This record gives sequence, C-alpha cells and structure tokens, in this order.
Amino acid sequence: MMNLIPLLDLYRFVLPGFFLITPGLASAENKPHAPQSIQNVTVVSAEQVIENILTNPDLLIIDSRKKSEYMKGHIEGAVNILNTRLKQSDLERLSPDKTKTILFYCNGTRCLRSSDSINKAKRWGYKKLIWFRGGWKEWTEKRLPVITY
Amino acid sequence: MKIESLSIKSLTIGIFSMIGIIAIVLSLFAGSYFKQAALDAQIDSLSRVIEVASDEMLKQLRAFTFDLGMKLAHSKELINEFSYSASSGNQKKLIKLLDDPFINGFVGFSEIDLKKIRIYDLQLNLIAENTTDSKAKDNELPQYITDHMLKRSLSERLKAYDVLWLSAEGPLFSTFVPLGGLRPLGYVEIVVNPLLNLPDIGKITKTPVHIYSINGERINSNNQKITDGHLPVEFILNASDGVPAFRIVGYENIDELSREMENTQSLTISGFLILSLATLLFALWMFSRFMFSPVTRMIKDMEKITHGKLELTVSNKGLSEFNILADAFNSMTSQVRMRTNDLQRLLDLDDSALMCFDRDNDVVYFNEGATRLFGYENEEVIDLDTADLFKNDISILFNNAQTGDSPQDSLREILSCKHKDGHEFKRNAVINVVDVMGQSGYAVVLNMALNDDVASTAQNDQRLNAVEQTLSNLLAAAKDTPGIMSVTGESDLSLIDSALAGKQKAELREHVVKVMSLALTCWEHDLGKTKLQLAEESGIWPVYLDKSTPTTRTLDKYLNIELCPKNPRSQRAIDTAEFVIRQVGMKKAAKCRDLQEALDAFRQQISGVKASNK
Repeated sequence: MMNLIPLLDLYRFVLPGFFLITPGLASAENKPHAPQSIQNVTVVSAEQVIENILTNPDLLIIDSRKKSEYMKGHIEGAVNILNTRLKQSDLERLSPDKTKTILFYCNGTRCLRSSDSINKAKRWGYKKLIWFRGGWKEWTEKRLPVITY
Repeated sequence: MKIESLSIKSLTIGIFSMIGIIAIVLSLFAGSYFKQAALDAQIDSLSRVIEVASDEMLKQLRAFTFDLGMKLAHSKELINEFSYSASSGNQKKLIKLLDDPFINGFVGFSEIDLKKIRIYDLQLNLIAENTTDSKAKDNELPQYITDHMLKRSLSERLKAYDVLWLSAEGPLFSTFVPLGGLRPLGYVEIVVNPLLNLPDIGKITKTPVHIYSINGERINSNNQKITDGHLPVEFILNASDGVPAFRIVGYENIDELSREMENTQSLTISGFLILSLATLLFALWMFSRFMFSPVTRMIKDMEKITHGKLELTVSNKGLSEFNILADAFNSMTSQVRMRTNDLQRLLDLDDSALMCFDRDNDVVYFNEGATRLFGYENEEVIDLDTADLFKNDISILFNNAQTGDSPQDSLREILSCKHKDGHEFKRNAVINVVDVMGQSGYAVVLNMALNDDVASTAQNDQRLNAVEQTLSNLLAAAKDTPGIMSVTGESDLSLIDSALAGKQKAELREHVVKVMSLALTCWEHDLGKTKLQLAEESGIWPVYLDKSTPTTRTLDKYLNIELCPKNPRSQRAIDTAEFVIRQVGMKKAAKCRDLQEALDAFRQQISGVKASNK
C-alpha cells in the first residue's frame, strides 16, 4: 500500500492534465466541417465562380476570412468582411438591393465563417446568395488568379 | 555396403544430418537471396523517394514562378503597357517592365534561376520578352504546349499552367498565368532553369545527389561526399511530354544496412543452426525413446527367447508397429511353448520307455514309461547313467554297429536292463544318436514287452523320430531354461557353461568326493554308524534293494572319484556333511573339523563358480 502512494500522487497531477489536453486534441481531429448545403443557397465550385464573375460584372464577392488572410491573397474583386463583424448595415450599404446576387467564401470546407455570414444575410432578407464552399483552398489548388496585395 | 550392416539408428542419424546440411546450405542461399532482394527493395524505395522529392522540388518551384507571374499579371502598369503596345506597336516600355525583375530583383530572386519573362496574347503569339539575358537563345515554345493551352475551356484558361520542357539550351520550367486576372488579355510566361533547384532533392532524401543531363554529363550536385558504401539509385525526371529531361542519381549509404543485414543473416543462420541442432537432438531423443530403445529391448528379449527362454515375453511397450510386432512374436512364442509342453506330455504319455543320455552317459531325459519300467522315482533319475540301467555299454554297441559296411543312424538291439530292485530283464531297444546340448548323445526307446519287437518296429521308428525331434527341441530349451526338463534342470553344475566345464567340473567332483569321504569317516568314527545308516537316517541318499540286499549305489558313486557322476549334485554332498556335523554335535573330533574345513572350502568354490558363471 505504501508503494502506491507516490503513484497516486503522480496521477493527481497527470490526470487533470490528461483531461485538459485530450479535448484539445479531439477538437483538432474532429474540427467540424461546413454544412454540405444551406437551404435556398446555391453552392458552387471554383469554375462556377469564374463563370459567375464573368457573366455578372455586378457580382458582390464577400471574403469572410480574417484580414491577414485576405491580404495574403484573395479572389479578384472580393470585399473582406469577417463573419463576426458582418452587420446588416454594412451589407445593405454594399448591396442595398436584396435581390442582388452575393457570393460568400472563406478558407474551405473546414471553415464555418462563410456559412455563418450567409445565414446572417438570409435572416436579413437577401434572396440570391451563392456559397463557394470550397473557398480559398480550392481556388489556390486550382491555381486560379489571385490578388496578393 | 550391405544394407544388413546398417542400423535404424545410424540410418536415422545419417538422414537427419543430411537434412541438417541441406537446410544450412539452403539457409545460406536464402540469406544471400534475401540480401539482394532487400537491396533491390531499398533501391526501388529510394527511387520512389527521389521521385516524390522531385515532385516536391517542382512544387516549390511552381510556388515561386506562380507568385512572380501573379504579381506581373496583376500589374496595372504592365496591363496598360500591354494594351498600349498592342494598339501602338511600341513595346519599349513593355520590355523595360519585363526587364525590371532581372535588374531590380523580386521576392524569391535567389531561390530560382529566372531565365525569361514573356508576354503572349490569348492565341499564344509572342508579344514581348525581356532582353536582359542576351546569351539566352531563342527558345520557342514546343507545339504541344501551345496546342494544350489553346484547347482549354474558358475557365480552364484562367488556371496557371506549369510545364517542364526541353529547350535548345536544355530543360526549362515555365509557368503561364493569365495577364489581367479573371478577364485575361494574354499570358505571362515565367521561364526558369530548374537545374538550380534540383540539388534540393538531396535535402529531402538526405542523401548525396548528382544531376546528369540525358547525355550523361554531370551538371549539378549537392556536394555531399560519396564513399564506397554508397549505393547509386537512379531516377529519370521526364519533361511534360514524357521525354527524359534529367537523370538524377541519389546515393544511399548502405554501410549500415549491409552491417545490419549481415548481423541479421548471422543471427538468423546461428539461430537456424541452433534450432536445427536442437530439433535434431530432440528428434534423436524421440527416436531413441520411442524407436531405438523398444527395438533394442525387443532384440534382447527375442535373443533370450531364441536361446530357449520360452517363458519370457517381449515387451510390447512402444509404438503401434512395435506393439503389433511384439504381440505377434509373443503369440508365436506362446504357441511354441505350448507345443513344447504338448510334446513333453506326449512323450510322458507314451507307453514306451524313452530315455536320453549325454556324452558322459548320464541321464538327461527320462519319461514316465522309463521310470515305471526301471522302478526309479523321478528324483532318483538324476544320478543315473547307462551303467545303472543297462548291462550293455550303449556307446560300444553303437560304435560297433557303425564300423560295419553300412553305417546306420539307428541301432536295434535287445538290451539287458537293470531294475532299481536289482533284477534284470531284457527289452527290445532302438538306439539313436541325438544332439544333446550341442554334443552327441543317445536316445533309447524300450518296448514295455520283449515280444513287441517285430510288430512294433515301424512304430518304434516313428517314436524314435518323434523322440529325436522333441528331445532336440526340449534340450535346446532346457539348455537355457532350468526346470523345463526335470533331469537336466536340477544339476547344480548346470550353471557351468561348456567353457568352464573341463577344469572346474573336475575340481568340483574332487571336492564332492572329498567332502563325502570326510563326512562318512566322521560319521563312522565319531558315531560308530554305517554307510547304510547314513543313507537311511539322512534321507538324502536312496537305498536300493539289490536281490533283497540293501545297497547305497548312488552314495557309493559319490565316494569314488572314478564313479562320481560328471555333474555331481553338490547340494547333496553339502546336505550330507551338514547332517553329519549336526549329528556329531559337541563331540567334534579332528575328523569333523577337517570335514568342516572341507565343507567351507567347497561352499566357497561353489559360490565362486556360480559367480563366475553369472
């Protein structure tokens, strides 16, 4: 019994650490995916984004990522508004017409910012929303033109 | 070599040794084969590693060219000059803009060997290119690149296109990006020489790397030292059209691998040898335990049985086949034993007197008919010889018969017989020579009545043949089986084998006669009694009535060295001496002390003979 005491002392320190670290590891492993689709929102690929840009010169593109990420590279013509900072007034200023098409994107399928921004826009009454779910990851993998300033 | 000279044991050891040697040789071959196979696998593996490293190197190169290309493609100044030159035909400022990265540098300038920057329209017609590299030859794009780019769809044309191609001055790497971004006006081509970046493959593979042109000329390396322990591994880096562009040779240090493989091989072979040896020893132990030992035991038992010990059985403890073999042999032995007993009983049941004598004319077999005819008890027969039973000397009779013109195997004669009580009678006899324990003896058949002669001649012949065969079987068995026959088995000297028979028998006979003589002297001197009284009171010696006169014929034989049987019953002499000493008791005289000493010496001699015979 005497020999077990140091072991018990050890577990007193190790176990809490274990329980603290394990959820962190689990969250990294199980980082949630963005939903496959959002009701009444069109999900598009990188090629469809290009078609949309080329066919609709008034297309509003919103980059929901952080500013630092935006500065490293973004799709030509995209406006950077972080999802958490997106306000109805900002969006209404950029697109007063709620029937105007707006395209949202963020980092990729593991990024929830653009879907969050889209849900906000839906609540605010915007009807024509396009979601580039593959986001920046798909765009750069396909080696499409980027703006780096 | 005759197969009979081989034992199962030596054959088994030979086979196991042969298997062991073959296994060792095979393991050596297998070791060499696996070593080569491991090296081949290592080469194949490193070749794939170089391939992956080459891809990684090109990926890094692509990142630099893409960044530079994008920077230029979105440059408003360049776009404007491109448009201006297209309309005015003045390319001076456009070329100056293209020369700028070569003059003023760019991000990643030291990471790539920038060879050219070219501008094309959307149909891939060259509009302008830098002029700083005057030595650069006119490296026109191969047709397959132009064709590929023009065939692309609108959205695909916006994607950057990377290609490794063979120019006049060697392999080059180009990245095409759309000029003007999502609404392209043309293409910007960034051309670099990948040779600068190829040694980076060595950083990934952590090996010395040499880069060779397809002509075999070494054109670059990562300057790492190569020793004899390095194994060259080749990888061909192809251009985008599949034509070989570079030969990349990585050098894998196989010293450690070889050392480990040799260690593994030594360990494996040692382990294999130890395991083989252990298996061999275990197998031999198993064979010894379950095969050799039972066989040896069986052979010993069989030899004993073959020498007549029919009462023994062969141990059937062993493997199935040995068990069956032992049971079969035991069954056969049992049948032989039963047959022998039956034969002996048949001889006893015969109404004729059947007798057998050895070379010394002593009785070795007496059937029931013979004891009845001569009036002796079974226990008295052992002291008899031909002289006690017949007035004729059988050996002389037989030898005389053999000296004639036609020697005969059997002799028919009327023999004068002597009954135990002394009266004489005649009987027709057939005498035949038989083998008695390896020596010549006689078998005698006597009819119960004298006048049976003519009528029973044929019957006697048959009997004699039966006696001869049966006796030969019985005597062979009796030789090693004391007790199987009443007569031969009771001799104290039956333990003495033929080699010892001569001298020891003579000494024993002398001692028997000496002990008996001293006993009788002591008896007569100290007790004042007669020889007849000794025979009667001791009950050891038979008293015969010879024509109504009591005689001690057997005792008399033991008192005379000339008449003493060849195989005297020494126990009788000892019993007689002890009886006399007991009777004399406290009144021991000098004669009795002599008797005691002679008795002790005789006992020692008897025990010595028995011990030496064992």
